[in-house]
Amino acid sequence: MEDEDIEKAVLAYLRKKGLKLTELALQEEQSRLSSDASHSRSQNVADRYFDGYSRLRSWAYNSLDSYKHELLRVLYPVFIHCFMDLVAQGYMQEARTFFHTFREDHEMMHLRDLQKLEGILSPSHLEEMELARFSRQNKVKIRLCQYSYGLLLQFIHKTKSFDMLGVINQHINFEVTPGQPTSISDDSEAVSLVGASQDLARELNQKELHWGLLEDSVEERMEKALSDSDRTEVEGNKEGDPEENNKKKTDGNKQGTSVSNKKKKDKAVGATGKTTRSETSMVSVAPRVKSELTLPQLPPEVELSILEDLRNRAQLNSLALPSVSFYTFLHTHNGLNCSAISHDGSLVAGGFSDSSVKVWDMAKIGQPGRASNSQGENGSMQGMHSLASDEAKRPYSLLQGHSGPVYSVSFSPFADFLLSSSSDNTIRLWSTRLNANLVCYKGHNFPVWDAQFSPVGHYFATASHDRTARVWSMERIQPLRVMAGHLSDVDCVQWHPNCNYIVTGSSDKTVRLWDVQSGECARLFIGHRSMVLSLAISPDGRFMASGDEDGTIIMWDLSTGRSVSPIMGHNSCVWTLAFSCEGTLLASGSADCMVKLWDVTSSMKALKTDESKSGPTSRLRLLKALPTKSTPVYNLRFSRRNLLFAAGALSAGS
Amino acid sequence: MSIVPKETIEVIAQSIGIPNLSPDVALALAPDVEYRLREIIQEAIKCMRHSKRTVLTTDDMDSALNLRNIEPIYGFASGDPLKFKRAIGHKDLFYLDDREVDFKEVIDAPLPKAPLDTAVVTHWLAIEGVQPAIPENPPIEAIVAPQDGKKMDHGKDDLPVDLKLPIKHVLSRELQLYFDKIGELILLRPETALFKEALLSLAKDSGLHPLVPYFSYFIADEVSRNLSNLSILFALMRVLKSLLSNPHIHIEPYLHQMMPSIITCLVAKRVGEQVSDNHWAIRDFAAKLVASICRRYGHVYHNLQSRLTKTLIHAFLDPSKALTQHYGAIRGLSALGPSVVRLLILPNLETYMQLLEPEMQLEKQKNELKRKEACRVYGSLLLAAGSCLYDRLRLFPGLLSPPDRQPWKTNKKIALTHLPKNKRKASSTLNSHQPPTKKLAVDPTGANSQFPSTDGPATSSSSGSNPNHHHSHNSSNNNSSNAGNTTNTNTNINNATGGGVHAQRVSGSAVLRQAWKEDMDAGHLLSSLHSLFGEGIFSFIQPAEMHCFI
Repeated sequence: MEDEDIEKAVLAYLRKKGLKLTELALQEEQSRLSSDASHSRSQNVADRYFDGYSRLRSWAYNSLDSYKHELLRVLYPVFIHCFMDLVAQGYMQEARTFFHTFREDHEMMHLRDLQKLEGILSPSHLEEMELARFSRQNKVKIRLCQYSYGLLLQFIHKTKSFDMLGVINQHINFEVTPGQPTSISDDSEAVSLVGASQDLARELNQKELHWGLLEDSVEERMEKALSDSDRTEVEGNKEGDPEENNKKKTDGNKQGTSVSNKKKKDKAVGATGKTTRSETSMVSVAPRVKSELTLPQLPPEVELSILEDLRNRAQLNSLALPSVSFYTFLHTHNGLNCSAISHDGSLVAGGFSDSSVKVWDMAKIGQPGRASNSQGENGSMQGMHSLASDEAKRPYSLLQGHSGPVYSVSFSPFADFLLSSSSDNTIRLWSTRLNANLVCYKGHNFPVWDAQFSPVGHYFATASHDRTARVWSMERIQPLRVMAGHLSDVDCVQWHPNCNYIVTGSSDKTVRLWDVQSGECARLFIGHRSMVLSLAISPDGRFMASGDEDGTIIMWDLSTGRSVSPIMGHNSCVWTLAFSCEGTLLASGSADCMVKLWDVTSSMKALKTDESKSGPTSRLRLLKALPTKSTPVYNLRFSRRNLLFAAGALSAGS
Repeated sequence: MSIVPKETIEVIAQSIGIPNLSPDVALALAPDVEYRLREIIQEAIKCMRHSKRTVLTTDDMDSALNLRNIEPIYGFASGDPLKFKRAIGHKDLFYLDDREVDFKEVIDAPLPKAPLDTAVVTHWLAIEGVQPAIPENPPIEAIVAPQDGKKMDHGKDDLPVDLKLPIKHVLSRELQLYFDKIGELILLRPETALFKEALLSLAKDSGLHPLVPYFSYFIADEVSRNLSNLSILFALMRVLKSLLSNPHIHIEPYLHQMMPSIITCLVAKRVGEQVSDNHWAIRDFAAKLVASICRRYGHVYHNLQSRLTKTLIHAFLDPSKALTQHYGAIRGLSALGPSVVRLLILPNLETYMQLLEPEMQLEKQKNELKRKEACRVYGSLLLAAGSCLYDRLRLFPGLLSPPDRQPWKTNKKIALTHLPKNKRKASSTLNSHQPPTKKLAVDPTGANSQFPSTDGPATSSSSGSNPNHHHSHNSSNNNSSNAGNTTNTNTNINNATGGGVHAQRVSGSAVLRQAWKEDMDAGHLLSSLHSLFGEGIFSFIQPAEMHCFI
């Protein structure tokens, strides 16, 4: 304090005498001294972190082979927390150098996180960026075997690197397991977002999940009718199987009523079923569940057309590959954002960045062969003919109403309605018969990335930049459910075949499964390394496929919530995925101008036999890669007869 | 510290009207600017992904700004990538090269063409898992390559696709069948109507181009193997001709492979199994083929014709070569046109005739076969020289030789009347019916008017089909030329009147002295040719000139 007084006195004296230059020189000197002091202090802190981390790192890299991968797993959280500590204490420059020195180690596993964290340049950013905030607030859980844990503690005590100890204590929860270290192949969890998400996921994934198919579906009735006509005597036996399965998953007391229901309908369908006898089973043996939503009734003529399609379905497997009909959009001038194909391929819709939606009726363009697939559609098509004829010679019907780029379009199951979602925060419902807008659904606060009709129609789900997914019914302008929980944009949404669940893929690199009835998250799937772009659920409701920005495709088992087989399916974004009607094939379409067909059955069989083993080693087998002529594949859809429709915009030149 | 240097902040501050931003503020702002930039870009990438694109555009940036409730940056909407330029004198300062556009210019400019409206087209990407080879699908090579690569990558998943290891060029199944069928036709059934259809198909069908290398190899191979089988050789040459005439095939790169086989057919020592085989015809065919190639591709390959003529003249002038080879060489050269004949054959004609003459005479050449061959060669020489002469004369139709060559013309005249007589005699004796020559005999002027149109082929075909006839004709020509000169008195009278007409013309055509000279050359040519061939040469003179002489 004395020093300061003296300084002040000197300054006052100098000022009084008018010795400006001297005064300035003195001030300069002072400031330099003080900054030096702070500089050296910062140097100290940074050095300590730097030294501590590099010592931990070299130790971990030199540790015993069998424990190395476990110890290396510790490095990443320590690394990012060291960095964030430095930032939080205000040593930007040092944090930067620290970050860049060791960044390379983690690039392979965590490149996208690193790119985000790199942008943190001031303590306030730590608060703002959700990834940083999230990882600051939550502890990472790392599983170590007893011995690795011991090694780590020993090292820290021996080297007295208390900074590291601090970081580790503050941000990492060790789950010490007795016995052998876990195998490297189990690493998928370690790859994901740091934070308590694994904990959460584990907890969530304990929940009960009724992944079975809806009871009393058309397919089931058809199947029943066929087996009835085959052997009526052993019906009792046949009936026993699904019941047993049901008991596993659903309450037994619901069964009585549904069975009697089924029998009534069976008799009605039986007559048609007897005439054409299909050789193999249409639906795999999946447990049946009851719908928790009130489902709309199928009009009888639609039911007939479905039955017709089921009878004429081509059986697909690894040896019998599907035919692929490709719809190419020409002259889109980079404006096509999304496309949709109706179940029979007769209608094709495109959503454009100029806010318009265009619907092409392929029957009118001169492909009558495909349109005749469906008898149920004839009525609607005629309606469109008469209406569209007044319009100018445009070969499509133009639907205008949005005020921002349209990011998704989706046909209702019987192609009489079309949903479109846009960056103007709204979802619009259009009638394909009237070519007019029916409803505008407002509710999201940010662009709506995706909208999907449920498999039975009437309900639809949307995904938005506001980090929520919502479930709506056509007749209400307010959402029925809001699913909140994702840490970043919800990018895509898909319905479970039994309509009781929806799955959402997000920019936080996770996929969640939500119970529609309760609106709660029922599963959390961690394993993607980048934004999830596409989802598909197998027709038997047990497996899910998800594709991401890097071209990875992961198969998940919904009941356990574990990944079955991650593969680098494509070189670029996987825009779309689709399961064939029996669930034997998976088709994927990508920005690398490829449609690829994957064998699901063989890999799943392998899974079932290997279930005792822990490692999910089986992989999807590539059956066929079909390159297109510089046309990224935006959309894929199997018709009910197992014809594969694909759509994409020709990107000539680029 | 931040990737945005503080200078940038200062420049931006200046541009928005803050002249002297303190460096501390700039330093403090720089990291935040970087963070905001990253944030906006992150959002822009999301917009890009949802627009199903892999290239970030200015629209995406605007959408991202909209998401953050910030006014978008106007004026950057553009289809082209923006071009930034480095500011002179600053290392890290860039600016957008934004040209000033005159408003008037924009208004006056014609409206740009309206962009095409969006359309949807369908095609089969695959039929039961197999990609059909249609224009909408990428070419087959492209299909094979990536799968190969994939196979390398996923060593574990064995693809059930049967792949042959790297083939650069894949023929479709249909083309392979086509090729096999054509090959079979050539080798086994070259006389059938089906083969004619095949030739037509080869000459017309598009899409045969992938087969050209295979065909050229096949032809070269089969020619060398089947030199003794005339019908196959003929079929091969016909296939070649069809390929050459196909407008959809770009055959030039394969010419070098095809030429040797054609030339082989032209100047081979022995073609055909037996001596009696009509190998002359295939030589003639090959000669025409070679000539047509030279005409079509001569301008592309400058040395094509020179190399060809070199080969042929070599064969022609080598006395050790067989007469059949000489014949081929002469045919080849003469097919290349009269100027080639004039430049290459005529100068050597005299010496060659000395060589040839003894071969033709009954007394000196006892081997009848050899003699016949010699006569053939003689005939071809005659034809070559004659067509050359014909060409010369045709160039100057209104001009005639100076009077001093009158005797030659009389001679010519006599020879002409003499020739039909001989022919008639020959044809009657040898019992080979030849309408054109017969007609010539009956009505010389009428026959002559017809003659030019048929001269080349007619003579060659007649000589081809009936060597004996020609032979006798030629030999009798030689033997009895003197006698012919003295016989017909009737012609002498005609000659006198012809001379009168001629004299009138001479007085009127002084302006064309140069042409006269040319014509004189032609006259000299005629005289020298006559000395070698006798009156046989006169059949090549056009009727117009004939009239003058008559």
